[in-house]
Amino acid sequence: MRAKMMLSMLGAAALMHAGGLAASAEENAATKAVEAAKAYSGVTLNTAEEAGLLAMLGININGPEWEKLTGIKVHVNEIPFEELFTKQMLEHKAASGAYDVMLVGPSWVADFARAGALEPLDAYIDKYGVKAEFDDIAPAFKDWMTYDGKTYGLVVDGDVHLLYYRKDIFEDPTNMAEFKAKYGYDLGPPQTWKAFGEVCQFITDKMAPKTYGAGLINTGYMHFFFSERLRTYGGKFFDADTMKATVNGPEAVQALTDMVDQLKCQPPGVQTWGFGESLSALNSGEIAMTITWPPVARWAQGINADEQALSWVPESQVIDKIGYALPPGGHPELASGFIVSVSSDSKNKDAAYLYIQWLHSKQESLKNVMRPLGLRDPFRISHYESPEFQNLWPGAKAYLATLKTGGEQGYADLAILETYKYWDSMARAVTSAIGGKDPKTALDELATEWDSITAQVGLDEQKAAYAAWAAKPSAYRQ
Amino acid sequence: MAAPTNVHAGDGIDPGVFKYLLVAPAVVILLALGIFPLLYAVVVSFQKISLSSQVTDFQGLLNYIRILHDQRFWGAVLHTTIITVVALPIQLGLGLLLAFHFLDDRPLKRIFVALLIIPTVISPLVAGSMWRLMLDDRYGPINQMVGWVMGERMSILWTIQVGLAYPAIVICDVWQWTPFMFIILLAALSNVDQQQLDAAAIDGAGRWQSFRNVILPAIWPVMAIALLIRALDLVRLFDVVWQLTRGGPGSATETISIYAYIRGFQEFDTSYVGAIVVVLIIVLSVLLVTALKRMEIAR
Amino acid sequence: MNRRSPVVRGIGWYATSAAIVVVFLFPVYWMFAVSLKTPREIFKYPPAWYPATPQFNNFYVLFRDGDVWTIWNSFVIASVSTIIAMVLGVMAAYSIVRFKTGGENLALWILSQRLLPPIAVVFPIFLIYAWLGLTDTYVGLILLYTAFALPYVIWLMRGYIQDVPVELEESAMVDGATRWQVIWRIVFPVARNGIFATAVFAFIFSWNEFLFALVLTRTQVLTFPVQVSQYFGAQSTFWAKISAMSVLGTLPVFFAVAAFQRYLVRGITLGAVKG
Repeated sequence: MRAKMMLSMLGAAALMHAGGLAASAEENAATKAVEAAKAYSGVTLNTAEEAGLLAMLGININGPEWEKLTGIKVHVNEIPFEELFTKQMLEHKAASGAYDVMLVGPSWVADFARAGALEPLDAYIDKYGVKAEFDDIAPAFKDWMTYDGKTYGLVVDGDVHLLYYRKDIFEDPTNMAEFKAKYGYDLGPPQTWKAFGEVCQFITDKMAPKTYGAGLINTGYMHFFFSERLRTYGGKFFDADTMKATVNGPEAVQALTDMVDQLKCQPPGVQTWGFGESLSALNSGEIAMTITWPPVARWAQGINADEQALSWVPESQVIDKIGYALPPGGHPELASGFIVSVSSDSKNKDAAYLYIQWLHSKQESLKNVMRPLGLRDPFRISHYESPEFQNLWPGAKAYLATLKTGGEQGYADLAILETYKYWDSMARAVTSAIGGKDPKTALDELATEWDSITAQVGLDEQKAAYAAWAAKPSAYRQ
Repeated sequence: MAAPTNVHAGDGIDPGVFKYLLVAPAVVILLALGIFPLLYAVVVSFQKISLSSQVTDFQGLLNYIRILHDQRFWGAVLHTTIITVVALPIQLGLGLLLAFHFLDDRPLKRIFVALLIIPTVISPLVAGSMWRLMLDDRYGPINQMVGWVMGERMSILWTIQVGLAYPAIVICDVWQWTPFMFIILLAALSNVDQQQLDAAAIDGAGRWQSFRNVILPAIWPVMAIALLIRALDLVRLFDVVWQLTRGGPGSATETISIYAYIRGFQEFDTSYVGAIVVVLIIVLSVLLVTALKRMEIAR
Repeated sequence: MNRRSPVVRGIGWYATSAAIVVVFLFPVYWMFAVSLKTPREIFKYPPAWYPATPQFNNFYVLFRDGDVWTIWNSFVIASVSTIIAMVLGVMAAYSIVRFKTGGENLALWILSQRLLPPIAVVFPIFLIYAWLGLTDTYVGLILLYTAFALPYVIWLMRGYIQDVPVELEESAMVDGATRWQVIWRIVFPVARNGIFATAVFAFIFSWNEFLFALVLTRTQVLTFPVQVSQYFGAQSTFWAKISAMSVLGTLPVFFAVAAFQRYLVRGITLGAVKG
């Protein structure tokens, strides 16, 4: 009941807000989308979304609000992350039109576009869009939306890994003095992975079991975390000349060995932690550092904590105590992130486009990236600079600045042909090392698997795709 | 029993046709959803279809040759075998012990037996989820109880560490299927002739000997069927492992079914999985025929 | 043989029996307990062994978010496929028993269908279904579950129909009944209990089935096991939903088995043990 009331109030607020803007000279992509979409009232849009928190935004907030504004229903289909690519690809192969709106990771754009699964959006943008709003997208994320000169999707989520740390522990004079005496440098957010291990161990030695030095994510999405470490250590994915996998090189082995070693300074059982467990531990004050996605900052700050869908997360005990920094090495993985696209098999392409334009618009996206629910993260210059966002909590300004730098400095996810196969293989290698397998052995097996995937995909084609990807400055950040 | 000779269906249907009409719908469905797909798999297995390539060119035995070199596949075969070989005897042994215990006819026995059946009828997927809850490092009662015994908090990562993932899977499977063995063996034991047992007792046969010489032969036909049903279930094990480890860590607990699922439905290596399916069917048929012959199970 | 007094032995027997039952039912209890806990209690360390104040919010959430539709889907798919399999199965079994149709070979071939590993069948079926547009439809899953249940039904009903006295049928036919009428008026009523029991078990198999549903459903006809499996995500493990949905999916099975316990042994051994 209360949730309903809040929703209708939100809706009313959005209407008033939209009305106010329309009166001004500036065109508004959200209002334009809503106006045009009213023609499709009664239609139902099927959207593909990542199962769990991400989908909750569509189910609980965006979907109902869009229906209220336009009369178009939104039916959210939840798909686990590991199956997002294949399920959507498969629906395209079956030409089922099961999803009108697709959720696409930047690494998959090439595969989807080549298969003809995505509707090119340029014509729709000309018809309904607001050009000025496109100039507002941060370059790292704008890059995701196009392939081969055509626009295939609109960003809704700009992901950057951040290091979260407990300012109160790091700035405690006793801690600072003791740390300096022991290691010879200042206690602070670690700049290197070696320092990460030392800071982690230092805090654990001092404060465990109340607080451990760090609690990283160890199940799910492991390819993101390892890709970041690998490149920070100077490793590369492939030899550009031969296309042989180099993920078992000395840098890679060192990276994985350290990753496993550093579990020792983390809470017992950290090997089972996923995104949710790490977040819970940060909120309850059980860990002093973690590396994870941007929404965690909002969560740890207790933003919108009264929303029902968030009730499973422990109440934050660390409000105003969290500092934000780039992860060790200074090049955060731009881990996944999402664009939304219109399926080429959709029977309601205009309505589907208008919905994603609305989600992507300056006005609506700002609301979404400010709430923790839905895990949407800033991707527009106007998000970083929004006074409303900057004043959301005392540390918000620093948070947004770190995100902005992270976006500029970050590593792009590997994006070649059939990337998902390489990812799956890498994630398995990493989890087996976490489960006790010798890192070198795990990575040797990984390299063998990668080589056989490359052979299956086609060596020359893959080599070209890799060369194109590796040419981006965000690939290796020399 | 003699079959009545006057097969008249009435309504003017030829009696000779009528008996076939009765079986026809069932047979058609089984052909359509059992045999036809297998033939289809055979065809696909010689082709070159994958998520990225819809080309239906034939490429001979290439997929089968790939299987020979596929360590992950042979790993899956090994994992499946390990789980079967470990879990099956435990279930059988525990089932037998329970059956002997509940052979006593006492008031309330029926209630105990009825309650014990519960694990067997629960969805294996739910059983797997339940054990994930039970075995959770922090929020599960198993590690808590182990901690009580050891006197300190124990962090036992059942679903993460290779050495523990197998015990976790076996525990879950044994929990769910021991009652199955038990209930069948109880029925079989109840039918063992009491006079035979008494005779064995008079002969002065020891407990073990009377079991081996009298009871075992009497319950063997039933026990063989139970073993066969369970062995076939274990060979295609999927649900429980899926919930507990998803085949992890890495590929350490991938069973044949899980590997084929990942290859087929997460990677859409269509033709390759077709080949795996064909190999699997051939191997299973051979094993089954041999087992049936060895066990001399009367139908 | 045993020197202890019958009373001591009796107490020992009951104590052991109770202990066995507790061990085997504890995980089930735990699932129910978790489903009634608040999120805070679920993530309490050390874990609480019972909910301080049982509450149904975890269930409410499933209703609010529409997840319970998957229970309805399971129900529709399992019931319809069971009914079809029973009708076709009884017909076929009758023909096999009374007319020896197909001899031993047909019966054995049907049994062999039951022994096929699902993964081997589901893969090609998926390809065929995708081609026919049958994935993610009631019809697709119902057909498959019917085929899955048929060998089981035929094999069990073979036994139950053999138990129907031939004399009854013959005397009915002497009175002028057709075969068709005999099946519905004599065999069905006489074998009624067996038919119900068989139907219940066929229903449970379909209700519990996971792999076929995982592969052949997307969004429209998700069954509850698929839904439960999706609560284990890379983001987090949603214990509250997992436990609540599992409880909802387990209760019907409890009732079914409580009602048909007498037929259980015969049911789970494909009729090999008459129990």
